[in-house]
Amino acid sequence: MIRLTDISKRFGNYQALKGIDLDIPSGELVALLGPSGSGKTSLLRIIAGLEGADEGSIRFDADEGNELEKNVGFVFQHYALFKHMTVFENVAYGLKVKKRKDRLPKKVIREKVLELLKLVRLEGFADRYPSQLSGGQRQRVALARTLAVEPKILLLDEPFGALDAKVRKELRRWLRRLHDEVAVTTIFVTHDQEEALDVADRIVILNDGKIIQEGSPDEVYHHPNSPFVYNFLGDVNLFKGRLEKGKLHQGVCEWEINGDIVSQSETAVGFVRPHDISISRDHALKDSVPAWITYIQAFGKSVRIELKRQDSEEYLEAELSREQFTELRLQIKELVFVKPNQLHVFTPDDYVI
Amino acid sequence: MAIELSPEQTADVRKHATTEPAVVRIALIIMVTVFLILFLLFPLIIIFTQAFSKGWQVYLAAISDPDALSAIKLTLIVAAIAVPLNAVFGIAAAWCITKFRFKGKSIFITLIDLPFAVSPVIAGLVFVLLFGGQGVFGEWLFENDIKIIFAVPGIILATMFITFPFVARELIPIMQAQGSSEEEASMLLGASGWKTFIHVTLPNIKWGLLYGIILCNARAIGEFGAVSVVSGHIRGLTNTMPLHIEILYNEYQFTASFAVASLMSVAAIFTLVLKNFFEWKMDKGMGEKA
Amino acid sequence: MTLAKPARPSRSLPGFGLTLGFSLFYLSLLVLLPLSMVFLKTAGLSWEEFLGVVTDKRVVASYKLSFGTAFLAAVINLVFGILIAWVFTRYRFPFRRLLDGLIDLPFALPTAVAGIALTTLYAEQGWIGQWIPFKIVYTPIGITMALVFVGLPFVVRMVQPILQGLERELEEASYMMGATRLQTFQHIIFPEIVPAALTGFALTFARALGEYGSVVFIAGNMPMKTEITPLIIMTKLEQYDYAGATAIAVVMLVISFILLLCINGLQWWASRKTEEN
Repeated sequence: MIRLTDISKRFGNYQALKGIDLDIPSGELVALLGPSGSGKTSLLRIIAGLEGADEGSIRFDADEGNELEKNVGFVFQHYALFKHMTVFENVAYGLKVKKRKDRLPKKVIREKVLELLKLVRLEGFADRYPSQLSGGQRQRVALARTLAVEPKILLLDEPFGALDAKVRKELRRWLRRLHDEVAVTTIFVTHDQEEALDVADRIVILNDGKIIQEGSPDEVYHHPNSPFVYNFLGDVNLFKGRLEKGKLHQGVCEWEINGDIVSQSETAVGFVRPHDISISRDHALKDSVPAWITYIQAFGKSVRIELKRQDSEEYLEAELSREQFTELRLQIKELVFVKPNQLHVFTPDDYVI
Repeated sequence: MAIELSPEQTADVRKHATTEPAVVRIALIIMVTVFLILFLLFPLIIIFTQAFSKGWQVYLAAISDPDALSAIKLTLIVAAIAVPLNAVFGIAAAWCITKFRFKGKSIFITLIDLPFAVSPVIAGLVFVLLFGGQGVFGEWLFENDIKIIFAVPGIILATMFITFPFVARELIPIMQAQGSSEEEASMLLGASGWKTFIHVTLPNIKWGLLYGIILCNARAIGEFGAVSVVSGHIRGLTNTMPLHIEILYNEYQFTASFAVASLMSVAAIFTLVLKNFFEWKMDKGMGEKA
Repeated sequence: MTLAKPARPSRSLPGFGLTLGFSLFYLSLLVLLPLSMVFLKTAGLSWEEFLGVVTDKRVVASYKLSFGTAFLAAVINLVFGILIAWVFTRYRFPFRRLLDGLIDLPFALPTAVAGIALTTLYAEQGWIGQWIPFKIVYTPIGITMALVFVGLPFVVRMVQPILQGLERELEEASYMMGATRLQTFQHIIFPEIVPAALTGFALTFARALGEYGSVVFIAGNMPMKTEITPLIIMTKLEQYDYAGATAIAVVMLVISFILLLCINGLQWWASRKTEEN
């Protein structure tokens, strides 16, 4: 386990990290998720030992902490491959620079490197130079190179950031499988919530140098603890109003709310994801608002509909399944009634986080 | 068992990643500083201390001596002719090399560098072989009473030869990096070739051009070997400042020699300041474009 | 409409004929024609005469001296040039900017001025000379010192931009894989700066071989001992021995051309390396 206690880091006048406490159990695949400037990369570099923390301590369990530098592997965002070395030499580098007494015989190094290249599916590429590889291939060389020194902890900085969308998806599935095979504690930094939700066992969401929420993808997606997390993890519609007796009131409408944190508040905001909004033509229930359909995006598995509320002129976004959409036969400029099914309400106190 | 790293320890670990232990750092800094003080600063300082070793009056007398004044004048005349001509050549060569593709371009670039690789003495020699008494044109020049060798034209030619590559060398990489899209846009908008050069190209290369000119000028006024061969060392007539310094030095007039040298050192320091200023301007220009 | 090839971008700008014509003309008149004279003049000598001049004992001694001192100076500048470039790009210390600006002094200071300054400095009673137990002025050591001064900026200015452009991540990656700082320098940093450093070395060497102004004052110019090759040419000229001077010039020119080819090859190699990124 890695235990971070009260880690703070400052760059000049800029406070990058503010008192981070975090436990990372052995063998987990953890995503550090946050917008740029949230401190996630600084945190990763501190765990790697590439930066020193100003305050706080890092504790590694014995099996992960012995000869610390050699037991942490780091994959850089832009791969940092050695240009003048072949793929083979890149992967063998960590084995060749070992102290003489720890160094493996040449033949063993060779076998090991070829095995690693097989693992990252680059068997035929040993003699190529990095400049002759595609982005995805370079990324896999960087991974193989890092795995060669058998790290107990694997750290990846925006591992898929520089790749195009298709390669990205492929590689992150592959990283997941690799993690299950090699079973090392893996921490990766990303700003892409989809990537984090898709791959990680656990997600740590950072903003402004602090941890906002941590938990399984399911937990953070379905039970965000703050407006920030709600916003960051996907598209969202806002319903502003006031809280009274556990219901959110807005004009003539009132809605039941999920979870009961507070029951009274002058101002409150209900959050609802586009796929938790339903559309109907039936009028005047107390829990739906009239809105014009302004735009329909009807390709793909689901249909996205943009609406403009008749009362407040605010825009809403809904996501319907194709079946629902064909059933309703919605038209642009049509007036419909919109109802939030799942409403997460946050009061101003929650915004302080 | 667990290992705990305090802030001091984590900072310690980080230091190993991209920098050296403090001992190594300090040792290297001291080595480099001492080397530069011995090799660059001391020579510069000794010029001025020697120049003023006998006081202001001797110094002023040395630099206002008629021979010194005529050497200064000749040096300035030579630079005033050689530098602009080489600047025009530099611009023309850089233009055709960076804006067009043609066969033999890399040979052309290598030939431009040629004078850098030729010993100054040989640079002088070639003009003696051409225009000297026994030279190819020697007889014809003699008959028509034109003096090139052991006269000012020879000094100018030798200086031009030595400083030939400077401006072109600076401009080629700069213009290569800038490409020709701005010029093409200007032409498409209807500007003439000349207008395009004045309004588009020149502003882009201005600092690099000045940088090349200032280095070219420094070498032009300081050239010794080539000029020494062709000048004939006629006092008051064909002596440039460096030659005058040599004569004074060989006549054991050390103070006077260093006095003239100090004038040239001031010019050198001025050159360095300008060079750094132009470099800074170029960096800034690049930053704005990026 | 005919199937026209797309217009080559290189043809859309004007002035090709004018600028190429002018620069070729200028190059030929000022550099090529005069230089070819050296070979023409030598052609007037028989092979035996030529060999006799260029293998004269005194001349051979000057080759040895010129090559030895120029090579030594280039090696010193290679080592210190890399060191200076490293210290300037990596460390912060007082007067760094000032020293950095001073590096180009040898390019700006006339060689004759440098020559008399170094001679005064290293003379037996000079500021530095008095502390040194052996003689510097009028020995090959003095010549080497002058050549080190003259060639000082080349390696520094070649290597500095390479070090500045080096990604820190490469060193961090090497470190994370367990390499020591020395191993990182040896395997990661050094291969990156080799082409630039070698180019700087060749430039220093070429410059030092031909250098005249700064050397004549400190060398003492004793035949067989401290007489460099350019000085022999000079002496022969002063004796109106044009054929002899030219024959030696041919030897030097051929060597310079070979060096120039090496420099071009090195630069091509270096640019190919950087294009790969």
